[in-house]
Amino acid sequence: MTMTIHRPDWERSLSMRAWTEGDERSLVRVTAPVRDAGNATLLDGDRMWTYSPKVNQVIRIPSSLMSQSWMGSDFSNSDVSRADDIVDEYDHRLLERRESDGRAVNVIESVPHEDAAIVWGRELLSIRDDHVVLEHAFYDQDGVLVKSLKTLEIAEMDGRSIASRQRMQKVETPGEWTEIRVDAVRYGVDVPASLFTVSSLRNPRE
Amino acid sequence: MNRLAVIVARLAWRNLWRNYRRTLIMISAVTVGAWAIIFMTALMRGMVNDMVRDGIESLPGHVQAHNPGFRDDPSVASLLSSGDAEIAARLDGAGLRAWATRVNVPAVVSSERATRGVTLIGIDPLGERGLSFLADAMADGRALRDADDDGLVLGRKLLAELETEVGKRVVVMSQDPANEIVDRGFRVGGGFDTGLDQLEEAMVFTGKHAAQALLGIEGRVTELAVLGNDFRAVDGLVAQVRALLPEDTEVLPWYELDRYIGAMLDVMDGFVLVWIVVIFIALSFGVVNTLVMAIFERTREIGLMLALGMRPSGILLQVVCESLILLAIGLALGTGLAWATVLPLRGGIDISSVARGMEMFGAGSTLYPELLWRDVRLAVGVVLLLGFVASLPPAWRASRYRPVEALTRSA
Repeated sequence: MTMTIHRPDWERSLSMRAWTEGDERSLVRVTAPVRDAGNATLLDGDRMWTYSPKVNQVIRIPSSLMSQSWMGSDFSNSDVSRADDIVDEYDHRLLERRESDGRAVNVIESVPHEDAAIVWGRELLSIRDDHVVLEHAFYDQDGVLVKSLKTLEIAEMDGRSIASRQRMQKVETPGEWTEIRVDAVRYGVDVPASLFTVSSLRNPRE
Repeated sequence: MNRLAVIVARLAWRNLWRNYRRTLIMISAVTVGAWAIIFMTALMRGMVNDMVRDGIESLPGHVQAHNPGFRDDPSVASLLSSGDAEIAARLDGAGLRAWATRVNVPAVVSSERATRGVTLIGIDPLGERGLSFLADAMADGRALRDADDDGLVLGRKLLAELETEVGKRVVVMSQDPANEIVDRGFRVGGGFDTGLDQLEEAMVFTGKHAAQALLGIEGRVTELAVLGNDFRAVDGLVAQVRALLPEDTEVLPWYELDRYIGAMLDVMDGFVLVWIVVIFIALSFGVVNTLVMAIFERTREIGLMLALGMRPSGILLQVVCESLILLAIGLALGTGLAWATVLPLRGGIDISSVARGMEMFGAGSTLYPELLWRDVRLAVGVVLLLGFVASLPPAWRASRYRPVEALTRSA
C-alpha cells in the first residue's frame, strides 16, 4: 500500500507492506523511498512499538505520544492502533439507511461511553452492506466536524471489496491530507506468529 | 566616668542644636534613609512570603512523606509503603493540624484538538481543606465533592489550551504500576484560577478513589501532606511525622521539597543586610560631612576644652555621641514613619498592572507588606554600628588637636 502525505507546499509518498492477524496484531513496514525504508510499526493489543533502522532502536510508544502523528501523516498513533475499539467503547445508533450505486449504506452514529478514553463527541460511520466503510467522520463535543476519513475508491481485491483509496483530512487545514492507497491485498495467508514480535520488528525475516 | 558621660552627652546634645538647621536636614536625611530601608524590606518580605505561601499551597503542606524513590521518579511505581487506611490509623489522634493523602502521577490529558502533559492529582477534597489552594481558587463549574468524585478540575489556562470547557469530556492517560497504559474519559467538572500559569497548566485534580481506580492501585497513595502551624518552624513537625510513619518513608519539610522557595528565604535575609548597608553608605557621607563641619567650626572651643583639662577621650566621646544622637533620632522617626506607611497597606497593595511579570517568579498580584521586628532591629543595629565606625575618624582628629594651635587658629 502507499501512503501519500499532502501539504500545501510539499507532498511525499511512502510505500509500505502490512501484515495483520485477527483484530489485535499487525505489523507495518516501509519499503520505499530508500530514506524511510525499514521504518516499521508493530501493534499488539493496546501496545505499540516503532523501529527505525537509522538509530537501530525499538521504541515503545508511550501513552503520552498516542495522540501524536503517525509517521508524519494526518493519522495519529491512536487512529492507527485503536481501529477496533469502536465496537465496544461506544453506544451505536442506526441513523439512516440509504441507497448508493444500487447498494444499501447504513449511517451509524457512535457516541463514546461516558468514561471511554475517546475525546470525540460523536462519530458518524457510513458503511456499505459489504462492510466497506465509506466515511468515518469525527465530531467534537459541540457537534463540529473536526476530521474525516473518506473512501475515494473501492476495488475488488482477492475476492473482496475493499476501500482501496482513503483520505484523512482535518477540517481546519483544508490544504493538508493523507491518503492511503491499497495496491494489492491477499487474505487467508498463513503468517507465522513470530512475525508480530519486537525481535521481528527489528530484524525483518520475510 | 559617670559624671563625664553625663557632661559629654549634655554637651553633644547642646552642640547639635547650635546649628539646628543643619541638624534638622541631617535628621530628615537619616529619617528618609531609615524609612526606605524598613519600608522596602517590608515590601520585599511581603513578596517573598507570598511566593513561599503559594509554593506551600501548591506543594501542598509544610511536610510531605513519600516513598524514597518518589522524588527521582514521581510515578505510580513509587507508592507509599503504607496504604491509605494504615496511614489514617497512624496519624489519627496525633494532634496534627491537618493532613491529607494524595495520588500524584504524571499523566496526559487530551481533548479533540490538543494534548498536554500534566500531573494528575487524586485528592480527598474534605481532607484538603486549609491545606491546598484548590478550594479557594475555583473559578468555573463546581469543586470536587468527595474522594469518589470522578469529575476533573483543571486550570483555566489548561482549559483554554485544550480548547475545552466545563461540562465537556477529556481523556486522561497514564500508566499503572506494571507500566501498562491506562486511560479513561473524564468530564470536566470545574476550572481553577490561581493567577499563576505554571500551576494552571500543570495540575489536574480528580477524586482520590477515581484516580486509584484508573491506576489500579485501590487503597494506595503516593503522597502524604501535613500542615503545621508556622511555615518558619517545621523541624519539630518533621520529626513528629517521621516517628509516626514506617522507616522506609521519606519525610521532608517544604524547604527541601521545593528548594527554590527555600533558597528564596535565605537569599532574602542576605539581601536585607546588603540593602541596609547600601543605604547607609549613602547616608554616611552626609553624617561624616556634618561632623567634619561641626568640628571645624568649633576648633577653638575644642582647643579651649583641652586646655582646661578635658581629656582627648572626652572630645572623642562627645563627637561620637553627637553622631549617635543624630542617627538615633533619625532612626526613630524613620521607623515610626515606615510603620505608619505599612499599617494602612496591610490589606495588600494591588499590583495587578505588573502581575504578568510577577508571575514569572511565582508571586501573586496582591502584595502584602510585612514588617518584621527582626528586620527593624537589624536595620537599627547596623546603622548605629556603622554610624559609630564612620564618626570615629573625624572624632579622632578632633581629639588629637593640640590646644595651643587650636586656640590660636582663626576660624
